[in-house]
Amino acid sequence: MNDGLKVSTPSDTTIVMTRWFDAPRALVFQAMTDPSKIRRWIFAPQGWEMSVCEYDARVGGRFRWAWKNEQADPAMVISGEVKEVVPNQRIVHTETMELASCGALGTLLATLDLNESRGRTHMTLTLAFDSKEARDGALQSGMEHGMEAGYQQLDQMLAGSK
Amino acid sequence: MVQNRSASLDRVFQALSHHARRGMLRELSGGERKITELAAPYRMSFPAASKHVRVLEQARLVRRRIVGREHRCRLRAQPLQDVARWTEQFQAIWEARFSKLDELLEEMKSHAAQAPDAAIPPTQDPSPANQRTHRQRKEKP
Repeated sequence: MNDGLKVSTPSDTTIVMTRWFDAPRALVFQAMTDPSKIRRWIFAPQGWEMSVCEYDARVGGRFRWAWKNEQADPAMVISGEVKEVVPNQRIVHTETMELASCGALGTLLATLDLNESRGRTHMTLTLAFDSKEARDGALQSGMEHGMEAGYQQLDQMLAGSK
Repeated sequence: MVQNRSASLDRVFQALSHHARRGMLRELSGGERKITELAAPYRMSFPAASKHVRVLEQARLVRRRIVGREHRCRLRAQPLQDVARWTEQFQAIWEARFSKLDELLEEMKSHAAQAPDAAIPPTQDPSPANQRTHRQRKEKP
């Protein structure tokens, strides 16, 4: 599984993801910046439906992704502003995630770098946070995604009941 | 090993995907309960409640013991501690997304082969890699 996703935390405030894709980087770039493509792969848990998917891949452009579920509309919003664009190679944007269950989770700077080699693309996605707490919160938010709304509460409840 | 862990994560996610099972876990956080006690708030039959408990047992969230005619359930905290490995969870979620992206890219590649002009986004990329992509396209019959 050389191609599998690698996640590392090289510093207290960053998460770095690397992965290979079996496609030229122009296609990877398009899949990551064209709203009609983004919504095909940025999915949330079962029962969540993407209600807004906008991405304006120009410097100063805004993006907004929102999901709804049975409990809330929106249940989650990820939005931000594009800071830097090198077509097919690099895109930098700010990103704020808000969850209906626990409000805004802080802002991060996401840097996507794509390098092509023999028709394949190596991605490095760096998420830079303001603080270690924010970084850890984002790692924890993975739970929120995977577990639907109830899990984090359950975990806290169980931690409290030990 | 990673696969085993993600299979057990799947079971935990699945177990937690039903409101009655989440409610049962909440109830069990207060201590040991009989299945009939777990079933009561949901007006469930014993077999129906027992089925939900079995899903929780398979996810190793609950342990059941039978005392006489009573089925008594108790919470097991370990799997929840296991799944609290943040990085692994984070990775599992993103890998699921990127697998979807792989599928999308395959589709885009086959479209690109059929209709070359529609395949490349309208960007001005002076980089050698992109020029190579254009050359490759022109070489195609």
